[in-house]
Amino acid sequence: MASEKAEIDALKKECDGLRTQIEAARKAVNDGSMTGASGGVASVGRVQLKLRKTLKGHLAKIYAMHWATDSKQMVSASQDGKLLVWDTHTGNKLVAVPLKSAWVMSVAFAPSGNLVASGGLDNICTVYNIKAASPKTLRELDAHTGYLSCCRFLSDSEILTASGDTTCCLWDLETGKQKVVFTNHIGDCMSLALSPDMNTFISGACDSLAKLWDVRDGTCKQTFSGHTSDINAIAFFHSGNAIITGSDDCACKMYDLRSDQEVINYQDTSLNAGVTSLALSSSGRLIFAGYDDFNCHIWDSLKGEKVGVLSGHDNRVSCTGVPEDGLGVCTGSWDSFLKLWN
Amino acid sequence: MSSKMQSSSSIAQARRTVRQLRIEASIERIKISKASSDLMRYCGEHAKNDPLLMGVPASENPFKDKKPCTVL
Repeated sequence: MASEKAEIDALKKECDGLRTQIEAARKAVNDGSMTGASGGVASVGRVQLKLRKTLKGHLAKIYAMHWATDSKQMVSASQDGKLLVWDTHTGNKLVAVPLKSAWVMSVAFAPSGNLVASGGLDNICTVYNIKAASPKTLRELDAHTGYLSCCRFLSDSEILTASGDTTCCLWDLETGKQKVVFTNHIGDCMSLALSPDMNTFISGACDSLAKLWDVRDGTCKQTFSGHTSDINAIAFFHSGNAIITGSDDCACKMYDLRSDQEVINYQDTSLNAGVTSLALSSSGRLIFAGYDDFNCHIWDSLKGEKVGVLSGHDNRVSCTGVPEDGLGVCTGSWDSFLKLWN
Repeated sequence: MSSKMQSSSSIAQARRTVRQLRIEASIERIKISKASSDLMRYCGEHAKNDPLLMGVPASENPFKDKKPCTVL
């Protein structure tokens, strides 16, 4: 017993030492703030986007949406128990996928456009072939012991999931089995985003931490702290060198991966609502963040200033997305509508 | 769980934490001034191709409802 206690004490001492080392290394590269550096950058002025379309069709709260890579199709998920695939140019519904479980929390479009995936309180990620004559269940990925909060395809044969069981997982869609399990969070995982080069991904969790993972070997490479509540939304900056997070603490943050720390905080005393979702414009200059206050607020990512707002929903904005061509932004809400703005 | 099992799982947990912290401590970090200038440069280079910054001309706006034209 005494030797075990001695070992634990030694390990704890080593942990403390390593944490101090990490903090010191971060401080050593902290030679100035991002807001200071961007002082000379021209302001974007007031960003005023117009509501172009309201997509009506769901009968209950919308929880998630995801653009197809063609920037035209988009899939949305509602607790009315349906996934709807939309042609956003015409506003028409292309495909309706009835769900076994109505308690959906996440939806994803495969890059090929052939498959969509969804999951939620059933703990299962179900993958559907939407190119078949009628939507066909391809796989039911069943191994998480908590709700499915987020899913993202790498290809038609691999998908990443994030779960309330505190783990993320990489699945092989050909076998339906887990390839890699990513464990390190101590709170429900709420959101994930794949890096542009697909070698790494980031996760945000209820432990208020964001983590960077190696997709192939399962290691957690970096941990980012600073938020004081659940991280609900996470996205990569398009260069792949920075990440943006959105939290129940009402703030968004940008962390630079190579400096290994927070570089800007996006917060406003008048904004007292949690961040539910976020998306970046194609240059990365604008952050569209959905909040519990029924609005999507627009931030200047470099200067940390609020530069606009998308108002029109009658309930919480639960999901936000910008297509690959950057031509607009889609917001989805608990009011059951999706809106397209540009 | 016997107290012996509890302490071995505590040791296992502590060892895992140390292993993880060693990984995180070992990375190379760049100065925030360099990180900031790289981010600003990226935004600057891509700004003119960002439709939400530059605006979308009505004729090229795929989301704008096309109203039928009447020839008078």
